Amino acid sequence: MITAAWICLLSPLAAALLITLGGTRLTRRLAGYLATLSVLVSFVAALVTLFLLLDEPAEERSHASTLWTWLSAGDFEAGLSILVDPLSVFMMLVVSGVGFLIVAYSIGYMDRSDEERRYFAYMALFVFSMLLLVQSGDLLILLAGWGLVGLCSYLLIGYEQERPAAIAAAKKAFIMNAFGDATMALALFLLIQRLGTLEYGGVFAQIDTVGGWAMTLIALGLLGGAVAKSAQIPLHTWLPDAMEGPTPVSALIHAATMVVAGAFLLVRLNPVFEQAPRIQDLAAGLGAITLLVAGLIALVQTDIKRVIAYSTMSQIGYMFLGAGLTAYGNSMFHLMTHAFFKALLFLGAGIVIHALVGNQEMRNMGGLGRMLPKTYTAMLIGALALVGIPPLAGFFSKDPLLAAALDAGAYGQVLWAVGLAGTFLTGLYAFRMIFIVFGGEPSPFAREHLHRPGHTMPALWMAWTVGALTVLSVIGGWIQFSPFWHPLTDFLDPVAAPGVEPSGLQDAVTSVLSVGLGAVGIGVAWWIYSARRAAVPRFAFGQRVLEHRFYFDELYDAVFYRPAAWLAAAAIRLVEGPLIAGSIQGVTEGARLLATRVTEAQTGLLRTYALALGSGAAILTLVFLAVRA
Amino acid sequence: MKGPDVSWYLTLSAFLFAIGVLGVLLRRNPLIVLLSLEIMLNSANLALIGFARHLGDTSGQVFALAVMAVAASEVVVGLGLIVALNRNRIALDVDRLNTLRG
Repeated sequence: MITAAWICLLSPLAAALLITLGGTRLTRRLAGYLATLSVLVSFVAALVTLFLLLDEPAEERSHASTLWTWLSAGDFEAGLSILVDPLSVFMMLVVSGVGFLIVAYSIGYMDRSDEERRYFAYMALFVFSMLLLVQSGDLLILLAGWGLVGLCSYLLIGYEQERPAAIAAAKKAFIMNAFGDATMALALFLLIQRLGTLEYGGVFAQIDTVGGWAMTLIALGLLGGAVAKSAQIPLHTWLPDAMEGPTPVSALIHAATMVVAGAFLLVRLNPVFEQAPRIQDLAAGLGAITLLVAGLIALVQTDIKRVIAYSTMSQIGYMFLGAGLTAYGNSMFHLMTHAFFKALLFLGAGIVIHALVGNQEMRNMGGLGRMLPKTYTAMLIGALALVGIPPLAGFFSKDPLLAAALDAGAYGQVLWAVGLAGTFLTGLYAFRMIFIVFGGEPSPFAREHLHRPGHTMPALWMAWTVGALTVLSVIGGWIQFSPFWHPLTDFLDPVAAPGVEPSGLQDAVTSVLSVGLGAVGIGVAWWIYSARRAAVPRFAFGQRVLEHRFYFDELYDAVFYRPAAWLAAAAIRLVEGPLIAGSIQGVTEGARLLATRVTEAQTGLLRTYALALGSGAAILTLVFLAVRA
Repeated sequence: MKGPDVSWYLTLSAFLFAIGVLGVLLRRNPLIVLLSLEIMLNSANLALIGFARHLGDTSGQVFALAVMAVAASEVVVGLGLIVALNRNRIALDVDRLNTLRG
């Protein structure tokens, strides 16, 4: 089992190295096949691990494996270790399974782009990093994976190096994530100082001895990392910009896997967070705020990928809400179904963008339902699953998550109400997108530019992966239907036992309300955008706020960028100019002055030299004699 | 041990050395400067041999022989330079040979 887990981890790394070192000796398409195959190997290995794990009794399903100790300082040791337990196997399956479909889709999507080898090497490296993150048996390895996925995200957002917007977006994502990495590293330092270990088992066993402000700081630092990685308020502004990357990258990194790492962290480290309940509440609150704010912003976006990006933020908000209120199993279940339908929506959007020769602007789209009927069906199913309409995936995962909030006291009930409001918004923005893009008559732009995907090899790769994700978005939720049938929560129970247990009534009420509100949202969207019986409501102030995304970018610009730029300018004027440049100039001028003085001693007269030598020797002799005496 | 005390030799050596130094510093004829240098070297030799005799250690004499060898080769170079100067009809005056400076 351990071997299978290591194979799962290392196979994509091997592919990344092979593609990088092979260079032009590999054809572009071979690079794509290689990357896809390596992720498929990972998936199969993860499946093998799962079945071996299921053979064991539930309480023994935790195996740590250390390859070697790579850092040893005093009492502190850190090994290259992985942990195979239900949670990590679950994440391995999601990452490698969805990752396999998306990398396979890329073979079609990236066909005939110039640098496919680089793309596939990065993709394979990303899958490796993500697997390292979820399989880590040690907080230090977790942090390494955490940083590596951030690096891959940076590389892939900026994949189209010739576009300044892509480069700017990549830098933004990297810097905001670095902030989260830093708070996480600080939390780890505190943990080392208090407990002397970063290995999960050791940390979880002793974490109750920390207590006090140190415990709060540790949890807060870890939450900072989770918030930055998962694009939750207040560190969310990088995710919409990250849509500058190629669409499969958005699907894999910025929807299905990397951005949900924050929710994974909350669940993985639940014994730590449970020692700081206020921080858990904070996480749930941030999730609730994010799901509402992102849902609102999604209403006014006109770029198809940005709508889906805000939707991703909103859905991760649900996961944070669930994980913060200790509904771990439901949160992870939602993570999985979200990976299915969000990857589906992104890849469907990718087909639309391809068909319209790179256009992402929804105002240019319209009436594509008739031209791309299969894509329309797939996107429709994805959107319905996102809203949570039964019997699609989102229904089974989102509703129990909200029901769990209902069981978590007064605070939970407030968040429950926010979550329900979010489902209404979800219905509205998702179907606004569907109706604008696919409904009505074909727009002039679409009629002019549309080139229908034929039955070529690239189109087929894109088609079958989207088909597979469509099927998963339909049936993916059926593995769990609480309160009747919850194998996933039971499977995760030894690692993350949920602290809330909603009753059947709570579940039923939440489901009815959530589906009802989602359907109302869809209805309103239909009323406005499809039937056109009502004009789009205009609230000048509200719209301006939403279009500026609640002024977060402007705020950060004013609070962080401007003062820093001002400080830098002042430093140039006051420190760099007079102090540093001045002192260097002083040194050179002093040396020159000294040199001219010394040159005067060089007369060319032999006798002066001889005199200097002789008197020097005489003085030295006298000095020696004086010292001896 | 016969003969004068070592201090006599050293005094003589110091006198010779002083004469040599003054010659180098005061005279302008390179030939005389060269001779003065030889006097200085030989004063050093005298001191070495004086000490060797005083201490009964022959290594001082060996040093003196080495100094003589160096002095001989130095004279060869120095005289060669002077002859070359004379051939080129350059005035034999060390104060006027001052063009070698930075």
